[in-house]
Amino acid sequence: MDLSLTETQQLIQDSTRDFVRNDYTKEVLLDLDEMPEPLTKELWTKVSQLGWMGMAIPEKYGGTGNSLTDVAVLYEELGRGPVPGPSFSSGVLGALTLLNTASPAHKEAWLPEVASGERILALAVTEKRYGWSPGHIEMTAKQDGGDYVLTGTKLFVHDAASATDLLVLAKTESGLSMLRVDANIPGVSIRVLPGFLSGVTEVTFDNVKVPGEDLIGTEGAAWASFDAALRSAIPVLCAYKVGACQALFELSVAYSRERTQFGQPIGKFQRVQDHIIHIVNYLDAARWTTYEALWKLDTGQDAASSVHMAKVLASDGYLRACDFTHEVHAGIGVMREYGLTLHTKMSRSLYHCLGAPKYHRKRMEGALGLTSLR
Amino acid sequence: MDFAIEDSVEQSAFREEVRAWLKENIPEGTEYPVDPGDLTLEQYQLRRELGRRLGAQGWLYPNMPTKYGGGDLPVEKVVILNEEVGRAGFSLPPYYDAGGRMAAPTILVWGSEEHKGRFLPEICKGKVRTWQLLTEPGAGSDLAGIKMTATRDGDAYVVNGQKIYVGSSHGAEQSWTVVVTDPDGERHKNLSWLMIPMDLPGITVVPLNLLTAGGEGGSGCGHKNTVFFDDVRVPAENLVGGENNGWKVATTHLEMEHGGAGRLGDRRIIQEFIDYAKSEQHGYSLLDSEEAREALVDLHIESEVTRLFALRNYWMAHTGQPRSYEGSQYSLRRKLSGLDIAEKMLEIAGPYALTNDATYGPLNGALELYGREAITALHPGATTDIQRVIMSRRIGIGRQDREKAGALR
Repeated sequence: MDLSLTETQQLIQDSTRDFVRNDYTKEVLLDLDEMPEPLTKELWTKVSQLGWMGMAIPEKYGGTGNSLTDVAVLYEELGRGPVPGPSFSSGVLGALTLLNTASPAHKEAWLPEVASGERILALAVTEKRYGWSPGHIEMTAKQDGGDYVLTGTKLFVHDAASATDLLVLAKTESGLSMLRVDANIPGVSIRVLPGFLSGVTEVTFDNVKVPGEDLIGTEGAAWASFDAALRSAIPVLCAYKVGACQALFELSVAYSRERTQFGQPIGKFQRVQDHIIHIVNYLDAARWTTYEALWKLDTGQDAASSVHMAKVLASDGYLRACDFTHEVHAGIGVMREYGLTLHTKMSRSLYHCLGAPKYHRKRMEGALGLTSLR
Repeated sequence: MDFAIEDSVEQSAFREEVRAWLKENIPEGTEYPVDPGDLTLEQYQLRRELGRRLGAQGWLYPNMPTKYGGGDLPVEKVVILNEEVGRAGFSLPPYYDAGGRMAAPTILVWGSEEHKGRFLPEICKGKVRTWQLLTEPGAGSDLAGIKMTATRDGDAYVVNGQKIYVGSSHGAEQSWTVVVTDPDGERHKNLSWLMIPMDLPGITVVPLNLLTAGGEGGSGCGHKNTVFFDDVRVPAENLVGGENNGWKVATTHLEMEHGGAGRLGDRRIIQEFIDYAKSEQHGYSLLDSEEAREALVDLHIESEVTRLFALRNYWMAHTGQPRSYEGSQYSLRRKLSGLDIAEKMLEIAGPYALTNDATYGPLNGALELYGREAITALHPGATTDIQRVIMSRRIGIGRQDREKAGALR
């Protein structure tokens, strides 16, 4: 038993924290927040050169083949920002999806470019009847000779506006299949949704012809391998939320010391203390379930129940930690330039991403063998 | 990170060794009554025998130094030992003994060489059982406000006062307590930490009738007591850590009592309850209800987070990591999640959860007991409110100066 970070992880943590502090300052984050896609070329080039996109990709496909825990340590630091953009969608979710589902030829063709940042992936899974189980996918890819034709709408797709390639789950005759679609071809339209969310889009396909060679993996058999990719990707997203909760905790403690009312720091009031204690309790519940799930995945153990649990606690935890941070901060917390609302918005944006707590609680029933005997 | 407890050939061999040893050494006829309050004298004595046998191996308090009768085992082996003793139906120690769990580490930090040599081996070897006497009728959360006095008189302190919610069934050989040695002194600087043999004249132990016998521990302490001290003469050399320095000394065992050292061992009741829910009872299955399945998932999550906090604290304490608010966070969580889990069990099992009737009571009455224990467990080792206060001070909410965690070894 050793719950400390390895030397490599310590290095990843230190260097990423420094980078985020210098390059993703609050001013930069506020600017990115006003852009339709929260990304600049310079930043993407920089983070690609730092090797972020290749961490989850094996060396033979141009990555550095780090453990999931290593990758999670990076994302925990990004969560502190919160750093927006397609890093997770492409370098973790997209990369792991290709690793789990694609043929060796596709991996060789695409993964090195994902690792270098030239290719940016986004997963188009969910639709109008929103949900993350295979039964929620209704869009069909019609067979047309050796090719496919896609028509329909994918909704609440994360990071599609920044993507070069969409990995689309759609129904074919034999079941659910995954197709790679160029994000910039005619017939594909991507609209960033306005409101209390960040980087979330509507993607419409209007008679989009997808060549048969862009079918990923076996036709009709995409769900099981995608689900396995999700299992590995989810705790990395959870680590991002852990980092975010850590930042909220530190922000609240600092404010509790400097803000005075009734002639004393507000942190002297036990009701204010209780808000912050809620935050740290959510933070640590998310932290330790997340890292235990990652450890199970990295050591090849059955991690299903742990992964679902981590997602429940991280999604709930980030949302609630924001709420309590607002209780501590009151007025200043809702001033845009203070920066807290970047987190609040992100906590909402990511709440359902890869499955909301309710869905993962349901999945836990199966993982724990809690099925009706009837 | 490595959450694995069993991860080497050497450790697997140790597990086998422990398992075989326990099979050989658990005295015949030792049983674990469902309600610790039912522990008979005979059962208690068998447990003490098991304690002495463990003590001879250095396994009763396996992380204490060998020099003083402990095992000086690395954290992984301590974990294994706890697990295997747990599997055999006991906890470590196999009876209530605040002495080894909290007094011994405190003496290790604050005692003189003479104290260590005199007190520690008999605790670690299981020769004595020690009670912790802290709370008084007028001093619960405000522990520093105790009134029991110890007045120096020649080679002894003369102790007068009353302690409450303490100890266990079947008595103890000794106790430790915090007493007022300077009635006019400044708060926190007027107290001393004293070891008291329980056979001294003037000590009267009166059993209490509480909702449940014990507290949070799994060690089956039996009933709690109130203890009266009337002109009890305690040898002056039993004062540990210096006169009027008792509050500082107490921070060490309070740190442990507040969860700073973590806790190992599975909460068997959770798995037993899930198994109960999975099997058919009285002609139907609880799992047929969607609400019950959902509540079981929540219950599992509650118990997993608590387990992880305990594991984290254990690792921190035993590898010398810097600690802050984690002890009280775990204690707060254990109390509140215990209550929450009991509520979920009530929701899932219905009124069955409330009876220990031989026909209808689930888990031989253990579920009914759990429902009561979850309530009793809210106060020992400080209330949830006090745990929040400690967390706030340690985190430094509203203050620059962060209170330090109590010294462990």
